[in-house]
Amino acid sequence: MNDILSIYLTTSILLIILGFYCISSKRNMIKTIIGIEIITSAINLNFITLGFSAYGVDYFAQSIAIISISIAACIAAVALSLILNVYKHYGSIDLRKLRRLRW
Amino acid sequence: MMILQPIIVLLGSAAIIPLIDLLGKKIGFEKIRDIVAIAAFLIAFIILYSFSGNLPQSFSIDPYGPPLGVELRVDNLSLYMAIIFCGLGLLVSIYSIKYMEVDSGLDKYYSLLLILVAGMIGVAFSNDFFNLYVFWEMMCIASYTLVSFRKYKWEPVEAGFKYLVMSTIGSLISLYGISLLYGLVGSLNFTKLHSAIETIYRNGSAPLSLLYLIICMIIVGFGVTAAMVPLHTWLPDAHPAAPSSISAMLSGVVIKTGVYAMFRSLFTIFQPKIFDFGTILMIFGVLTITIANFMALMQNDIKRLLAYSSIVNIGYILVGGGIGAYVLTHYGLKEASIAGIAIIGALLHILNHAISKGLLFLCSGCFTHEAKTRAISKLEGIGKKMPLSGLSLSIGLFNLAGVPPLSGFWSKLFIILAGLSIPENNFMISISIIVILNSIFAASYYLWLTQRIMLKKPTEIAEKVHEAPLSMVFPIIVLAILCILITIKLDLFIKIIELASNNLLGGV
Repeated sequence: MNDILSIYLTTSILLIILGFYCISSKRNMIKTIIGIEIITSAINLNFITLGFSAYGVDYFAQSIAIISISIAACIAAVALSLILNVYKHYGSIDLRKLRRLRW
Repeated sequence: MMILQPIIVLLGSAAIIPLIDLLGKKIGFEKIRDIVAIAAFLIAFIILYSFSGNLPQSFSIDPYGPPLGVELRVDNLSLYMAIIFCGLGLLVSIYSIKYMEVDSGLDKYYSLLLILVAGMIGVAFSNDFFNLYVFWEMMCIASYTLVSFRKYKWEPVEAGFKYLVMSTIGSLISLYGISLLYGLVGSLNFTKLHSAIETIYRNGSAPLSLLYLIICMIIVGFGVTAAMVPLHTWLPDAHPAAPSSISAMLSGVVIKTGVYAMFRSLFTIFQPKIFDFGTILMIFGVLTITIANFMALMQNDIKRLLAYSSIVNIGYILVGGGIGAYVLTHYGLKEASIAGIAIIGALLHILNHAISKGLLFLCSGCFTHEAKTRAISKLEGIGKKMPLSGLSLSIGLFNLAGVPPLSGFWSKLFIILAGLSIPENNFMISISIIVILNSIFAASYYLWLTQRIMLKKPTEIAEKVHEAPLSMVFPIIVLAILCILITIKLDLFIKIIELASNNLLGGV
């Protein structure tokens, strides 16, 4: 039982590292957003794993995961609308084009 | 249920403003949406004020009642913060009537402004991490959108995207820390965590490094919104890019929400007498003050300068909280009065900075509204042509510079005195000396800015301007009067803040 839980916890840490790699190395703005979504999923997985017991998953952990999924969807929506505006200004969604402000 | 009222008023009016705007367009009276927003802020403010007699109150949401989790709780500290948030929101919405007139889509602007303030009040009221996270993200999403409100220009869009990415990563880091806390304790309620973490520490059932890792995650996560120095890079871009009214909200209260959430969760959950997070806060605070001061000196954009000066002031608040926690860790209860002074200084500085930075950004909004430029070299001498905003600007700058009678001096003095009060501790003494040197340094550029705006011969651009419209000058004058009023009634305010600081140090 504990083995399975530790596998899930390790997976969530690996997913977080993957998400940070995606945000820091990719130049496409949409891929940055995908990185953020990956980290959110990793944290949701962490919550569900830690809420696990012999009786099933704690309702509280489930509620947090559901709320967090919907919040992530809101953020993605705002971010994609910003990307759309960036595309209108620059004709590209390459992060390197956004260098007029110091990053 | 009573507690939810201000949040319900704000969110409800945010929902009906787009409908009212449609109605207003039909009958040809579009200002009705502004009036509804102002009325909503006013009602919320009055409700908040009416709480002040009977505290603390709490309201828990079934089915996760108090032992498990979701709970809203109002005590003196959260009420103090909520009144600052709502009051500045009220003044900013009055200011926006004229300032935002040229923009379109104002129904969305007012809705988002109301959601922003509702989220901040929710953060102040929540007594568990679940609520805190939801209200936190509500506030953040509203502020991303407001920063990039003028999306037809390139600058707000870029700054908004940068702010979004950094702030989201920050809140995700803190959420990961929260999930680890949930794994350790099985609940997210602050009151429950308070006792549970102490038990875990006594039993040694979790490694100490894990607990410190969680502390670091909370500091980093909330520190992004609070603009601590290694994480501050979104702020100097986002503040100038946003409309001035929103810069006033961001700088005046949104970054304070980050500090509040950090202090509240750290002081309540990880008792300062056990965990030494004070050192981390002090080091970050001093780093923040020093670096941001040097950056501020190099700016020619007035709003960018004010943005860096916000980072400096966040540094003071962090140092104040850090000294409080550090004293409790290393000297325990016998020096609790020093910790109290440091926390009072930090909380008073939150109020001072909210008022004077709100004032300064609104003034710079008046200047840019009339002169259409943000460069200080082109705004020189504009104070002679716009006497009311110029005079208020100088009061705000004097307050931040810490010119003695004004309250900005007293809040810095409290923090520094608390740092100097244990003579054998070299670490605290050296931190305080760096803070003193920095505040002298900061005073120099505040006074220099005052001199350039008020005393120099007006430039060509400054010659042509007139005083801003009355509805824009009114909130500025109110804020300037508040600056002076706090100075006169300082003992009263200190009494209020002392009650609030007892809530922060409650477990001690």
